[in-house]
Amino acid sequence: MDEKQREKLLELFAGKLTRAARLYLDNCTRCGVCVEACHVYASMPETRYTAVNRAQNMRRLYEKYFKLSGKIASWWNEAVELDDAWMEKVYETAYTCTGCRRCMTFCPFGIDTGLIQSIAKLLLVGADMEPKVLTMLANVSVSKGKNIEATKAAFAEAVKGLEAEVIEKWQSEAGEGVIPLEVKGANVLYVALAGKHSIIPAAAIMNAAKEHWSLSYFEAVNFGAFVGNPETTKQIAQRIIDEAERLQVKEVVICECGTAYRVMKHMTGKHSFNVITFMELIARYLQEGRIKLDKSKVTGRITYHDPCQIARQGGIYEEPRYVLQQLTDDFVDLQPNRRANWCCGGGGGLVIMGDKDFRMKSAKVKVDQVKASGADILATACENCHSQLTDLMAHYKMDTKVQFVSGLVADALVQEQAARKSPGLKVVDKAAADALNGSQGELKRKAG
Amino acid sequence: MLDKAYYFIMVPMVYLAFAWCIVGITMKILGIFKAPPHPFTLRIFPDSKTPLFRAFLDTFTFPTIREHRPLLWVFLVLFHAAFAVLIIAHLDLIPQLRIASKDSPHMIGHGIVGLVLTVSVLYLLLRRFRSPVREFSVPSDYVLLLLLFLVFITGDVISWANSWSESGFVLTKQDFGKYLSGLVRFTFQDPSDALSGGHYSVVVAHVLLVNLFIMVLPFSKIMHSFFALPLNALRRIP
Repeated sequence: MDEKQREKLLELFAGKLTRAARLYLDNCTRCGVCVEACHVYASMPETRYTAVNRAQNMRRLYEKYFKLSGKIASWWNEAVELDDAWMEKVYETAYTCTGCRRCMTFCPFGIDTGLIQSIAKLLLVGADMEPKVLTMLANVSVSKGKNIEATKAAFAEAVKGLEAEVIEKWQSEAGEGVIPLEVKGANVLYVALAGKHSIIPAAAIMNAAKEHWSLSYFEAVNFGAFVGNPETTKQIAQRIIDEAERLQVKEVVICECGTAYRVMKHMTGKHSFNVITFMELIARYLQEGRIKLDKSKVTGRITYHDPCQIARQGGIYEEPRYVLQQLTDDFVDLQPNRRANWCCGGGGGLVIMGDKDFRMKSAKVKVDQVKASGADILATACENCHSQLTDLMAHYKMDTKVQFVSGLVADALVQEQAARKSPGLKVVDKAAADALNGSQGELKRKAG
Repeated sequence: MLDKAYYFIMVPMVYLAFAWCIVGITMKILGIFKAPPHPFTLRIFPDSKTPLFRAFLDTFTFPTIREHRPLLWVFLVLFHAAFAVLIIAHLDLIPQLRIASKDSPHMIGHGIVGLVLTVSVLYLLLRRFRSPVREFSVPSDYVLLLLLFLVFITGDVISWANSWSESGFVLTKQDFGKYLSGLVRFTFQDPSDALSGGHYSVVVAHVLLVNLFIMVLPFSKIMHSFFALPLNALRRIP
């Protein structure tokens, strides 16, 4: 590493030294209380995976370049030079941290190792050492934001192709279409992921609740946050903010994606609209009696995995549990749960980055936790968690089925006569028209 | 020569150490609070209805340590509580600030406070040699604890051995009062006048170690004593 690059990286480091970052870097007593907090350490007890050790990699650089003690007596706190070898070490600990912030709940000072790792990730981006797949995906998202007009027609066409599948779950809809787009003044702007599994159940649920909603042109996931690039993170979130403001929606509802929710809710400031998770919206529909669920549709014991980004870091604990309790009488909580829940091991972009072997080994503690619950269905509300948990169940040969909460709800929607005969409903699909005209048989055949 | 060294340690060095410490702490605090605030919340959920109160409790009762390391919690509570009493007990030595009975020959705590501190700091030091704490400990962690241990041991000698004579205390509380009174009034008087006898060299060693500790403090993790509350507030306050 030449001097010019070192200076560039140190400039990036300095730019991240907020009051909080300085407090976190200056005040660790290395008491070791955080050691067992990390799921990686709990599964693979190696000191390098402890929160304190991950943070030490950055703290020792901070000591060298930003503290007097590091300059005059580098041995005092083991200050180190910023060089290529040290950056390799930084990489190893930064991109094995899922940013679950469980360690923060153990630390007597509440030191946020996730924040310290975000500095590490920024340095790695600056050194062109970050996982390229994450940067590539982040750049695609940014580029989509810049060229949205060129892709709108193709997106609308693709969405149109999903309508039949939505109608299979709910055969009538409330407003502008089965999957409405560009609805000005909508109550809800639903921000999905780039996959029909994130659109179809949600559309069915919102249509069943007769919501005045609109589907966002953009995918919710924020790869900028995964890679650790604050500028890209902001650009990706801004696309959705601009869309929501242009459409003058009341609420932006983030699909089952933890990072997307945290970025939009807690990291982008105040907006003219409210930001909620899809779990909150479903819970609201159930509480208001706008949708009803058939408990017989779900068989077996259900448990719930709290995604770190929407639970510990977003405060959404009870809504998903309330929803699941409307689906089954056999709900059990994982132990520990809520704030103390174990991370699935797939966050922070790890699922996308590959290295399945590490993901499987580092989340053994999660598997043990699920096993102990005796659940047949492991519900969750985050795409990353879903992918990781599915991989885990397969890898450890477990029969527990991983499902999105929205998927379970959509499959259990109770189609009431009153809903179907509601005036003002617009029929946009022949199958749905037949259904509304009494051709129940055809609908049932379509629904399979 | 030795007399001069003793005098330097007992008087000018004390002032220098305190001045150094105050400047260091001020610079540290200014450095932290001059930095820009973090652009978004760092709180952990669930929210508390009284976040500042909860942050206060986190700071002074260490609930996460009690939950995850009960034995460490016991020693930390003993250490911090005894340290607070120790500061009061030293202030009590200054005649102008005296809280305890004027005629009492004993320091507040009767030497028990020092023993509690010695035992608890020894525990904190020894646990550093065990894995996994050993793997992420750095030299300053050991040096600071060793320094504190030596401060407490010499303090114990002054509290205990000093009193094990046929005539009671060799150096009385009133003698220490004269020394400290001279310090706070900037008389630059030679303390050996007030603290005569064989235990004077132990007192000098004790003061030297305290001076070193005070000088190191602004550059050490002990600054957490100033920042624990703002740190815990970050976790609690929106």
